[in-house]
Amino acid sequence: MDAIIIRNATKRFRKNVIPRTHSTLKSEFVKWLRGQKRPASESWIEALRGVDLTIPQGKTVGIIGRNGAGKSTLLKLITGIYAPSSGTVVVNGKVSALLELGAGFHPDFSGRENILINSIILGRSRSEVRARMSEIIEFSELGDFIEQPVRTYSSGMYTRLAFSVATHVDPDILIIDEILAVGDEHFFRKSRAKMEEFKRAGKTIVLVTHGLSTVEEWCEQAAWIDDGKIRQVGNPREVVSEYVRTVALAEQQQALPSPPTGPVTQGTDPSPVSSGALPSPLLDSRIRIEGVRFINGGGQEAVSIDTEGSLDICIDYVAPKPFGDLGFQVSVMKAGGIEVFTTDTFLDSVLSPQSLPATGTVKLRMMRIGLIEGTYFVEVVARSQRGEAYGRPPGRYSFQVHSSIRDRGVTRPPHQWSVEPRRGPS
Amino acid sequence: MLRNVRELYQYRVLLLSLTQRELKARYRASVLGFLWTFLNPTLLMLAYVLVFGIFMKAQMRHYVFFLFVGLLPWVFFSTSLSSGASAISDRRDLLTKVRFPAQVLPATVVATNLINYLLSLPLMFVLGAILGEWPTWHAVVFPAILTLQILFTLALSYMISALNVVFRDLQYIVANLLTLWFFVTPILYATSTIPEAFRKVLVLSNPMAILITSYQAIFYYHQLPRILPLALVTAVSLGLLWLSAWIFERRREEFAELV
Repeated sequence: MDAIIIRNATKRFRKNVIPRTHSTLKSEFVKWLRGQKRPASESWIEALRGVDLTIPQGKTVGIIGRNGAGKSTLLKLITGIYAPSSGTVVVNGKVSALLELGAGFHPDFSGRENILINSIILGRSRSEVRARMSEIIEFSELGDFIEQPVRTYSSGMYTRLAFSVATHVDPDILIIDEILAVGDEHFFRKSRAKMEEFKRAGKTIVLVTHGLSTVEEWCEQAAWIDDGKIRQVGNPREVVSEYVRTVALAEQQQALPSPPTGPVTQGTDPSPVSSGALPSPLLDSRIRIEGVRFINGGGQEAVSIDTEGSLDICIDYVAPKPFGDLGFQVSVMKAGGIEVFTTDTFLDSVLSPQSLPATGTVKLRMMRIGLIEGTYFVEVVARSQRGEAYGRPPGRYSFQVHSSIRDRGVTRPPHQWSVEPRRGPS
Repeated sequence: MLRNVRELYQYRVLLLSLTQRELKARYRASVLGFLWTFLNPTLLMLAYVLVFGIFMKAQMRHYVFFLFVGLLPWVFFSTSLSSGASAISDRRDLLTKVRFPAQVLPATVVATNLINYLLSLPLMFVLGAILGEWPTWHAVVFPAILTLQILFTLALSYMISALNVVFRDLQYIVANLLTLWFFVTPILYATSTIPEAFRKVLVLSNPMAILITSYQAIFYYHQLPRILPLALVTAVSLGLLWLSAWIFERRREEFAELV
């Protein structure tokens, strides 16, 4: 049985809704009454364009995508706040959604009163709420504040109250829009545990988040929305790594000046380029870099590596006639163009060009990556010792480092803490 | 329309809780609190008594009581409409975050004001008792007239609140129209003061005039209200309710996007 079935759903918003919401013209009024379609020339914003998504019952599904991709609109369709412009949305079961902080909280009322009202809005009866009241209050950890008006609450307290209410109304489907991040570490873990409990109880959870590691570790399915469409659905790791790669690619294309090319003439471009990959600049016919691969410690190709793991950056090249003064340079960059690490075969004096096989792979092994969680770009160039570039690989490459440890900065060198007694001046 | 009513019934607990909340919220931070429910109409009435009863010397037996009989249901009606106009458009917080049957919102406003009206009724009876105007058996039709007024008020509130989502000017138009409406409705004056030629037209074309004169009939004149005009109000109210339900049905899905 599927909990949520979305078929070819589109959602359009009238563009003029944003700058000038309310028209007072009588003709507009009559049109609205009759439900007439506006002239076609009017511009629309298509938040969702043909979404197909089936969420099986009892599955935890993470929805990822860039800002403005349509994630929130999709959630609002599922919760029934919006109706699809076309297509169908079928939801089997009672939905409890946590879309925004304090939906429907009345600022002048106490936490306790708001729990009552909010639970009733979410479909509980008074007696049911009364029966669970103390449980909800306890979960929210608001203590004596529960009798205070919620306008005096901090945003963390708001979150706790909202989450407590949403999870204590026994929904079949829980929909959460990344607000969990507002809570502190302790409540975050607690809410995680609560959701874990939901999972075990066989309930369906739909989670919209930017925390990719959450999706990877925690969801059974991931759906990637891009530009109002489902780009990929499936195994969270696969979807996330594909997503990371694409985002990194886009970021890097934005961050770097576009490669100097001739004037772009549409249609008559002599070298059509497959989408996603940049043309391989052929600087020197003697060497061509065909691609870059990342191999993890397990010997498998991967784009997502643990901080403590090893990484092999493999450069596949073709050099029909190996020649002297040839080396390879690898740079690891962070978003924003921060150079993390650059090295080359000259510096490490490892390569004797004469012994290069005509078709081969240059492998740079980092025994322990030691970078903090994030996305890293890799730039590879084959060059001379003086720095003349011979060849670059087609496309851009990036990998993702994940870690359970949340330190900041760039690297995580091997380290150790200790405490020792010190003999000070007496 | 049936679906609308059924949904409203399904969400009756919510309606009840929201009404309760409104009632509590209304005077929550004020010192006199719930007393304002009585003070508001009393002060308003005192002002009218001063102007029309004392300055202009209305030639009517127990003018204060007469005023009260008409003024209280009018306050119920006009407050429902003026605050009902923005009942949906002001609740962005609810509509865009939770799936929510929008018809509960104007219904809540009407219910809140109805309760305020009912609570102010004892005041009217006390005043009547002081002046010697005891309710007679005619008062038994009061629930019927009240029901009609609720229907009419609900229908108008539905329609205005739905339209106000798209045309925000409506709430201001309504506020102004209500002032005019107040003066063409026989609240401050008896229908007999209206020139004979317009009397019928003015009263029959105004459902509120029919309702108010019916209240006056049972409480002030101690007679039964005329049935035919009330039947007319029933028809108009049901028609309006049906129309409002139709508008709601057609447009409710847009509310969340437009508010």
